[in-house]
Formats: sequence, structure tokens, C-alpha cells
Amino acid sequence: MRTVSAAETAPTTHPWAVDAEGLRVRAGRHLAVDGLDLTLGLGVHGLLGPNGAGKTTLMRALATVVKPAGGRLTLLGEPAGGRADLRRVRRGIGYLPQQFGFYPRFTVREFVEYMAWLKEMPKAAVPGATQRAIDRVGLTAKADARMKTLSGGMLRRAGIAQAIVNDPALLLLDEPTVGLDPEQRLDFRELLRDVGVDSCVLVSTHLVEDVVAACTDVVLINEGRLVHHGTPDDLAAQGGAGDAGDSPAERGYSALLRRHRAAGAATPEAGR
Amino acid sequence: MSRVLRIELRRSAALGSALILLAVGTLLLFFVDRSVFTTGWMQLAMTQRLYLAVLWPLALAAGAWQGRREHRTNVTELFASTPRSRAHRAVPTLLAMALAVVAGYLAMGIAGGAWIAGTARYLPASVFAVLAVGVLALVAAVWLGLAAGRLLPSPATAPALGLAGLGVLLLLPGATRPHGWLALVFSPIYEMNLPDAYTTVPGRASVAQAVWLAALAVTAVLLVVSGGWRLRVAALLPVVLGAAVAIAAMPRDNRYVIDAVDPVARELVCAHDDPRVCVSRVHAGLLAEVVPPARAALTVLAPLPSPPTQVHEDTTTYVPARYPPWHDDVVLLRVDAGSDGHLANRDLVLAEVVAGAFAGPADCDHLAGPDEKMAAAYWLIGRAPATPGAVALWQNLRQRPEGEARARVVALRRAALGCTVQDGQLTR
Repeated sequence: MRTVSAAETAPTTHPWAVDAEGLRVRAGRHLAVDGLDLTLGLGVHGLLGPNGAGKTTLMRALATVVKPAGGRLTLLGEPAGGRADLRRVRRGIGYLPQQFGFYPRFTVREFVEYMAWLKEMPKAAVPGATQRAIDRVGLTAKADARMKTLSGGMLRRAGIAQAIVNDPALLLLDEPTVGLDPEQRLDFRELLRDVGVDSCVLVSTHLVEDVVAACTDVVLINEGRLVHHGTPDDLAAQGGAGDAGDSPAERGYSALLRRHRAAGAATPEAGR
Repeated sequence: MSRVLRIELRRSAALGSALILLAVGTLLLFFVDRSVFTTGWMQLAMTQRLYLAVLWPLALAAGAWQGRREHRTNVTELFASTPRSRAHRAVPTLLAMALAVVAGYLAMGIAGGAWIAGTARYLPASVFAVLAVGVLALVAAVWLGLAAGRLLPSPATAPALGLAGLGVLLLLPGATRPHGWLALVFSPIYEMNLPDAYTTVPGRASVAQAVWLAALAVTAVLLVVSGGWRLRVAALLPVVLGAAVAIAAMPRDNRYVIDAVDPVARELVCAHDDPRVCVSRVHAGLLAEVVPPARAALTVLAPLPSPPTQVHEDTTTYVPARYPPWHDDVVLLRVDAGSDGHLANRDLVLAEVVAGAFAGPADCDHLAGPDEKMAAAYWLIGRAPATPGAVALWQNLRQRPEGEARARVVALRRAALGCTVQDGQLTR
């Protein structure tokens, strides 16, 4: 039980949690996201793509850590580019970066509580939300252990706990399953489905089977552009017997990438 | 906020910093030279300030270590996605570190205070000003360290900053000579060494120092919360302004603190019953220890013609030269607190009071020498003196018939009071 604020029960007025049009984002001097069109609503979206496709840069832009270099980006109904005030958007974001930094001397509870404070949660809601987030990732027994004593898998789960503590409307998880054992990954998929019921979750991963098992749809990007956006079944339908991969989804992934690369080589200016 | 502050107090460098300041400060207080602070509260406060020579650089280093935390732990990416501003985020850390250094410094004061609580009585308001400036110096240091650690997040920042701070404190007096008052503005330790019993720190000096340190602290906070070069440049404004105001406020007198005398500390307080025995207010806690040997000495002196009837503390200060008023019937006695806070050289008080009966007014040209005074005193007491020079004179007296020796002792006192002591007065 917890008190629910008026802001939380207010109906959402935005059709899409993420609405990007011609989005361009730099990683250093390189344009890692280059003219991406993407709309994401409720549900769990798996972000797939080869290394260097721009997954992490896209995640960082959606997390408001880097400002877009061009295009239009609307997050939770508010503009997120240029000089926009990002405070309201950020209150609704949960983010687990690829390199999850944490204060090693803090306990799990203290760190999650600290993150809840940084996310400007109402003071009274913090202790309850912290406990709930820790329970949901299965770290209840380790709640009062120092962060530095946690194993790799536990750290990931602590990272997810801090990301979901504010019940984010937009949850961004960059390679969250790294370091989780098979059983933990199953639990994690369960958690994703649960969270995805009433929020927009974007999970970046290399593991196609995670996407198929836990995601409502798949976003495939390559070289900073959208290659495919559809359900996992759509993805599986794209592949043929001749494509690389051990499962229909993996074969679909290979086929889409192969076709995109071929099209890119044939018409290098396409889409610009 | 309060929950986060509590977390920061527990998990940041705050607790460790407080303990280090307390431990180092207390070790310095008790193992360098205890007798410099045992006289009273002002001496304790000033000695604490002197040891800022070590504590101030430590606070700088502690701040720099803590300031590097976000960089060291790689949380910048995660925190950048949160709505709370960099300035807000810094507040609990700033508070926790400030509370830590204040607590460490005050705890060091309490450790020293517990040692002298039984004997220290006189507590002027200026003690709190001296203490407050010390506290402010540490807060400014730890915040400045936080700013440095944040802007230059290298493992070398903390030790380098500590050494730089030590260097600044040690080099300031030389760098500002012959304008000692300038060192007094910028150094919280300057002129705090070996405080005299009646010393004080003039309020204006404390105010000027507080202005400077507060400005330094404001600049440090601005640097900590700054996200860009504009605020960083603006941060220079308070420190420049503070320096200007502090320089304007500080009197242009060299030795401003060292030569300051607290007239109230120097006033006499006396034991209730006769014969009158008085000590200065700052030594009021030692009065009960002075009275018995002082009165015993007056009893020894009683057989002399027109003997002294009172013992007062000799409250002479040399810079500025001020002497207590001279009365022939008053013996002056130097009173000092020992390293335990109690009366120093308790066994010698009787002999010193008796010998004091053979002293003369401060402006005399012909005074009895210390050996002559001691020889005469010990002849009256009936024991051998401890100093070899006095022993020879004392034996000379003893070999004479009782009446003659007494006449010589009486003559020495008369000559001392009249400023007419001649060489070899006692034995010629």
C-alpha cells in the first residue's frame, strides 16, 4: 500500500512514450544515430543491432544524457531536444547504463534510495518504493549489503532496481542481462513483462532469444538507422533456411541485416 | 534530504574525516606541549587554531578525496539522466563534510576542554570568536577540497592539495613580511603560537578572518555546483570581494594579536579571608592552590619589621610594558599553569613568595639579584636553597651569628624597597 499522487493517476496525454523523427545523435564526432524514425508506446521493446549500430547512443539520447544533434525527439509527450527543460521528462525515466556506475560504500537500499532522491520522488514515497524495487529484482536478502560486496549478477539487479524505483513511464535498459545466470534471466524476463504492462520499456541486447521471449516488439537498427520494427513473429518470418542462425528469430535478424547492408551498398545516399 | 544527508554522513568520507581530525588534533594537543593550552579557554582555542597548520591541509585533502567520488565511481552517466540538478546533488555532500570537520574540531576542543575543565574559569566571548574562525577555516578548506576534487578528479589531487595548503600556511608569514597583518588576514594559524596568560584575539581580527574565510567558502560552493566556465569565473567574485573587505577590516598593526592584552583576564580576584592572596582572573581556578603556600610564606615573613601582608599575582606584561601597581606590603608572585592545568612548580611557591619580599618596584635601578633573594628567603625558611649561587650566599649567612644574619636580611629588604641595593649587600 502507498499513497498515489494526483500526477500518477492523471491520464497520459501522449500517444507515444518515445517519438523520434529524423533523429540524429553524435557519439564524439561520429554521427552514431543518423536520421532515425521511431515511435514506441507501452510494452517491452527489444533493441537489436550489431556492435556499432548506435544502440547505446540511442539509449543515451532517450535517457536525456546526450542532446540530439538534429531531428525531433519527444519523450513522454515533451520535447527533449535543444534547450528544453528536461526535469519533468527525467522524473519519468528509469535508466540502466551499459556501464553501471554506483557508490561502492552504499548499501543496496541506500543506493536505490539515493537514486529515488535524485529522481525527485516525493519524500514519503521513497522508503516504500525502494523496498518494492529491491523486492521486484529479488535482492531482498541483500538489501542491506554494501554495493561493493555484490556479485556481477546482483549488481545488474541492483542497477535494475534503481532504474525502476520511480515507476518510470520510460524504462531504458542497456544490456541488462549481461552477468545474469540463466535462472536470473528467466526472472528478469518475468520482470520485464510485468513492467511493460503500464510503461514503455526499451531493452538493448545482443541476445535475440531474450527479445523473442520477453518483448512485445523488436526494434532493429544498423548504422544509426531503423532497419525493422515489428513483432518477434515478424522478425522470425523474415528469415529463410539459408540465413545464419540457430532459431527462426536469429535467421530473421541475419536476413534483415544482410538485406539492409546490401541496399546500403547499392544506394549509399538512400534515406538521406 | 535528511535521509540522504544521513546516508552521506555514514557512507561518504565524512565520518573518516571527523575521526582523523579528532585523532590528529588531540595527539597534537596532548603530545606537542600540553602546557601551552592548559592556562585557560582562550589558550586552548588559540592552540587549536595553531594546529590548523596540520588540520587545515588535512581538511583540504579530505574534501578533494570526497570530491572525486562521482568521477571515481563512474556515476556521471547515470546521474545525468536524473532531474535533480548538480547543485542540489552537491548539497548533502557539502553539508556532511562540513558537519564532519566541525564535529572533529569541536571534539578536539572537548578533549582539551575536559583536561582543563577543573581549573579553567575565565571564559570571555572572544574565545567563541576564535573557535568560530577555526571552524570556518575548516569548512572553507573541506569545501575548497570538494571543488578541487570535482574539477580535477585525479588521485593526485588530494595529496597535492594538502601539501599546497600546508605550503601556503607555512610560507604566508614570510611572503607578507614586513606586513604581518596581511598574513593575519589570510592565515588562520598566524600569531596563534605560545599564547600568553592574558592574551586575547581582538574582535576585529576575528571578524576580518571570518569575512575572508566565509568568502572562500562561498567561492568553493560555487565551484562545486558549477557546471560551466561562466559560473566558475563568477565564483572568483566572492573571494576577491572577501579579500578586499577583510584587508580593509584588519588593522594595519603588526603583532596585532601577540601584543593584545585582555584587561579583564588580568584583573585580580582574591581569596575571601585574610591575609589577602590574589591571582589574575584567568588563573582564578588556581587560587585555592596558591593560597596555602602563599599564606605560609607570609607567616615566614611575619617576623620582619613592617612585613608584607598580601600576595598578588605578578601580572606584568612586557609588550606592551604594563606593571602592576607597587605596594611595599604586597609580594608579587608569578603564577603559571602546568601541563596538568594545575599550579606549576607548587613546591617552589612558598620560597618564591618569601623571596618576593626582597624584590623592588619595577622601575628600580638597584635591585637584589635572584641569588641574594633566594639566599635570604631560605635563611628565613631555615632550609638550603637549590641553586648553587644561592647556596654559597646562604651558607655565608648561616655562618654568621643569628642576630647579624637577621640584620643583613632586614637590610636587604629595606634596600630592595628603596631601590638602593648594592653589590654584595647580603654578605659584605
